[in-house]
Amino acid sequence: MQVVWAIFGSALNIALVLSLAPLLHGVMRRITARIQSRQGPPLLQPYFDLLKLLGKEDIESGETPGMQRLAAWLSLAAVLAVACLLPMGFGAPLNLAGDVILLIYLLTLCGVSTLLAGMAAGSTYSLIGVSREMMTMITLEPLLAMALVVGALHAGSLRLDAVLNGSVYMGGSVPWSGLIMVTVMLLSLQAFVQRVPFDVAGAETELMEGPLMEYSGPKLALFQLANMARLVIYCAVFAGLFLPWGSQMPFPLGWLLFWVKVFALVLLVTLVAATHARYRIDQALRYFASLLGVSAVALVLATFGY
Amino acid sequence: MMTPEQAVFAAIVTCFAGSAIALLTARSKAMSGWLAFAATAASSILIFGGACEVLLHGPSAEPLKLWAAPAYAISFRLHVDGLAIVFLVLAAGIALPAALYSIRYMEHYADYGVRRYYPCLLLFLAAMYGLLSTTDTMWSFLVFWQLMTLPGYILIRFEYRKEQNRRASRKFLVMMQIACAAIMVGSALLAPSGGGARFEFASVRANLPALLSAHPGTVALAFTLFLIGFGIKMGMWPFGQMWLPDAHPAAPSPVSALLSGVMIKTGVYGVMRYFLWLVPATAQDDFPLARWGVVVTVLGTVTLFTGTMQALKQEESKRLLAFHSIGQIGYILLGLGACMALLPAGPEAGTLAMLGLIGALFHVLNHGLFKGLLFLNAGSMLHATGTQDLNRLGGLMKYMPLTGVTALVGSLAISGVPLFNGFASKWAIFVAAIQGAGSAKYLAVCAAIGILTSGITLASFIKFFGTSFLSRTSELVAEKAGLRPALHGAEPRAHTSRAHTSLANAGSAGTGKLEVGWSMQLPQIVLALCCVLLGLAPGVAFGILQRAIAATPQGAGALLAQAAPVSAGVLSGVTGPLGTAVFVPAGLLAALGVGFLVAYGISRMGSAPRRAAAPWLCGYATEAECDRYIAHNFYSEVKRHFHWVGGAENGKVAVVKGRTS
Repeated sequence: MQVVWAIFGSALNIALVLSLAPLLHGVMRRITARIQSRQGPPLLQPYFDLLKLLGKEDIESGETPGMQRLAAWLSLAAVLAVACLLPMGFGAPLNLAGDVILLIYLLTLCGVSTLLAGMAAGSTYSLIGVSREMMTMITLEPLLAMALVVGALHAGSLRLDAVLNGSVYMGGSVPWSGLIMVTVMLLSLQAFVQRVPFDVAGAETELMEGPLMEYSGPKLALFQLANMARLVIYCAVFAGLFLPWGSQMPFPLGWLLFWVKVFALVLLVTLVAATHARYRIDQALRYFASLLGVSAVALVLATFGY
Repeated sequence: MMTPEQAVFAAIVTCFAGSAIALLTARSKAMSGWLAFAATAASSILIFGGACEVLLHGPSAEPLKLWAAPAYAISFRLHVDGLAIVFLVLAAGIALPAALYSIRYMEHYADYGVRRYYPCLLLFLAAMYGLLSTTDTMWSFLVFWQLMTLPGYILIRFEYRKEQNRRASRKFLVMMQIACAAIMVGSALLAPSGGGARFEFASVRANLPALLSAHPGTVALAFTLFLIGFGIKMGMWPFGQMWLPDAHPAAPSPVSALLSGVMIKTGVYGVMRYFLWLVPATAQDDFPLARWGVVVTVLGTVTLFTGTMQALKQEESKRLLAFHSIGQIGYILLGLGACMALLPAGPEAGTLAMLGLIGALFHVLNHGLFKGLLFLNAGSMLHATGTQDLNRLGGLMKYMPLTGVTALVGSLAISGVPLFNGFASKWAIFVAAIQGAGSAKYLAVCAAIGILTSGITLASFIKFFGTSFLSRTSELVAEKAGLRPALHGAEPRAHTSRAHTSLANAGSAGTGKLEVGWSMQLPQIVLALCCVLLGLAPGVAFGILQRAIAATPQGAGALLAQAAPVSAGVLSGVTGPLGTAVFVPAGLLAALGVGFLVAYGISRMGSAPRRAAAPWLCGYATEAECDRYIAHNFYSEVKRHFHWVGGAENGKVAVVKGRTS
C-alpha cells in the first residue's frame, strides 16, 4: 500500500511540476512586463517556446557530445527526483526512501548538471559561468542546509514529513531560530531560483546564459524546463519549512492551498526581480556570506532549543 | 584451515618473499612487476580469507605468538579482530589494483629502475599488515612503523633527481619519526612497570584502571601523545599540512594511491584502537571519553574545512588530491569524534554513536576506494600527457574515455553525490552528528560545517574533472595526441565549423588516442565499480561493519554491543535510530530512472536533428590556447576571501605557462 502510494504520489508530483512550471514562468514574464510598462507575452508563451525548441536543430559544440547529452537529461531527472521527495499539498511521496540529508545533496545534484553542461560545452564564456555558478552554490546551498538542520533539530528527526512541516517554529514560545531562518531564506530565495539580482552565473547581458550559452534545441528545452521546475521546487521547500499553515487540511483543500502558496512566492520573486539590478559576483558572495553568518547564529540558538 | 592470525602472518611472509624476488628480477621491469603483483595478489587472498574467517566465526581467543624476549619486554604477537580486518581488507583491496597498475605505469620512467620500487612496495605493504595486527605498543610497533616509514621514504623519493621530491621525502621521514616517538613515549607512560610483555595491549589494559584513578594526568598526557602521533600519520590539522601535500604528489601514482588510500588510515586505526578499545569497560567511567570526543570532533571539523579549502586552490592534479585526503580524514574524525562524544551519554545516544563509528569506518573504506581511483586517474593523465598541471590539460575525455568516465565516478563519489559510496558514509556521519546534538550541542555546528565543506569538495572536483577531461583540447593534449597543432595556432580558418568537424573526425578515426593499456584500465574499472556498487547497496557494508565492530569486544566494545543495531539491507537501504533518518538507494534510483526516461522522451519528442559545430566565441576570437579558461581562473573570488586558510604557497604563476603563443 505504501509503495503504491509512493508511486502514485511521485507520478502526480512529477506531472504537476512538469505541466505547471512553464505556466508560472509565463506569469512571471507577464508581471515583469507590466511592472516595466510593457505588454508582455501571452501566459502560455513558455509552452510554445519549449515546443518550438524541441523541434529545432540540436547543435553540439563541445568536444564530448555524450557528456552534453547526459548533463541535459540529468538536469531534468534530478529536479524531478527532488519533486518526489517534497510534500506538495500532501505528504512527501518518497518519505520512506530518503531524509533531509538526501534532499540537501540531491538539490546540489541539480546544480551539478548545469556545471557539467557548461564544462562539456567548453566555451570560455560557459566556463566563466560555471565558475560563478559554483561559487554561488558554495555559499548558497549551506543556507538551505542550515535551515533544514535547524528544522531537524527542533523536530528531533531527519524525516521529510517531520521537518518539512513548519518544524523551524517548534522551539520555545518565541521561535527565535525559526524567525531568523525565515528572514535569511526570504533574503536569499531570489538566488536559489537564479533570478535577478542574483543571476550572476547566467548573466544574460555579459555571459549570454553562462553555462548554457552553447546549448540549443531540445537540450536547451530540457535545461529551461528544469530551471522553471527549480522555481517550483524551491518554493515547495520554502512553503514546507516556513509556511506550514493549512497543509493538514483534507486533500483537495490543502493541495490547492499549497499551489496558492507557491503562486504567492513566485509573485514575490517576480516583484523583486523586476525592480532590482544584478549584483556583481563579489557583492553577491559577500551578501551570501553574511547571511551564512546570521544563519549560523540561528543554528546555535536551535541547538539550545530556542 | 588457517586462523586469521596465521593468514595475516602468511601474507606478511609472502610480501617479504615477493620483495626479495622482485629485487632479484629487477633488471626486467615487466618481470619484476608481474612477480610483485603475484605476491600482492597472494597476500590479498590470504587477507580476504582471514577477514571472512573473523566475520563468520569471530576473532580467535588467543593472539598468535611469534617470538618473545621477556627480559627486554619484547614480544611479537599478532591478533586480528573486527577492527583490524576493516583496515586489513582496505590495505589488501587497494594494494591489488595499485600493484597491477604499477606494471605498465613504471615502464614510462625511462631513467629510473624498479630496483627501488617493487621491493619497497611489498615491504611497505607487509609493514601495514603487521602494524594493523600487532598487539604490542612498543617494540614490534616500532619495527612495523619503521618498516612502513623507510620503504615509504624510498618510494616518495623515487624520482630522486628532482630536488622537490627529495625535500618532500625528508619531511615525511622527519614527521613520521616524531609521530613514532610520540606514540612510544605515550605507551611507556601507560605500561605497567616490571618485566614480561608489559607493552602488550592486554597488560596496558589491565594497568589502566589503577593508573586512571591514581594519575589521571599521566593518562591524559599519554593519550594526547597518541592523538598527536597518529594525527601526524593521518594528516590531521595542523600536522597534515606539514608533510602530506608534498609527499603524495612526489611518489609514483600507484604509491600515492596507497599512501592516501591506506597508509594514512593506519593513523585512524591507531586513534580508534587506543581511544575506544584500549580502556577496559570497567574503567570507562574514569576515562573522559566524551571530552576526548570534543577534541577529536573539533580537530576533525577544522581538518575537513582547512584541507578542502586549501585543495580548492591547487592547480596540480595530485597535489589537489593530496589536500583532499586531509579534508576527507576530517570527515572520518568527525564521525569518530561524534561516536566518542555520544558513547558515554547513555544507550539511546549509544545507537547514534554506533552509527557515527560505522560512518567513520565506512568512510575509511570509501576514501580508500575513490581516492585510490582518483590517484590512478591522475597517474593515467600523467602517463599520457606527462604533466600534473591542470592548467595545461583539457578535453582529455575524447582521447581517454575510460579514464574520463572512471574519474567522473571518483569525483562524484568524493563529492558525496547520492548513489555513490561517499554519500552513504557521509550520511551516517551527519545523521549521528545532527541527531546527537541532543547530547552534545556542538555536534550540530560541526555537521553544518561538514555539509558546507562538501560543497567546496564538489567545486574542487568540478574543476579537477572539468578542466582536464572536459573544457577544450589544450595545446599540450593536442600535441601529445598527435593532432595538428595548427588548429590552436594563429590560423584564422581554424574557427570555421568545418575545421572543428575535421578535428572531431581526426579523433574518432583512430589517431589521437591517449588511453592507457588494459592493465592500467582494469584497476580503474574495478575501483570505480566498487564505488558505484557500495553506493547502490550501502546496507551490505553497514551490515558487515556492524559484524566487524561486534567482533571487537574489548574496551568500549562492551558499550557498543549494548547499542541497538542499525537496520540495513540491500533493498531496504539504511535506517537511522528510531527511524528518524532513512536512505533507500533503490527508491532514489527508481525516481531518478523515471526522471531520465521522462527527460529522454521529451528531448526526442521533436526528433530534432543533431549537428556538431565549433563553440561561438562572439565572432572575434579564434580558438587560441590563451583564450582557454584554465584551472587557475576558477573560483578567484572564493580563493581571495579565504586566502587566510593558506595552502597556496606553491602558487607559482601558472598562467604564464598556459600562454605560450
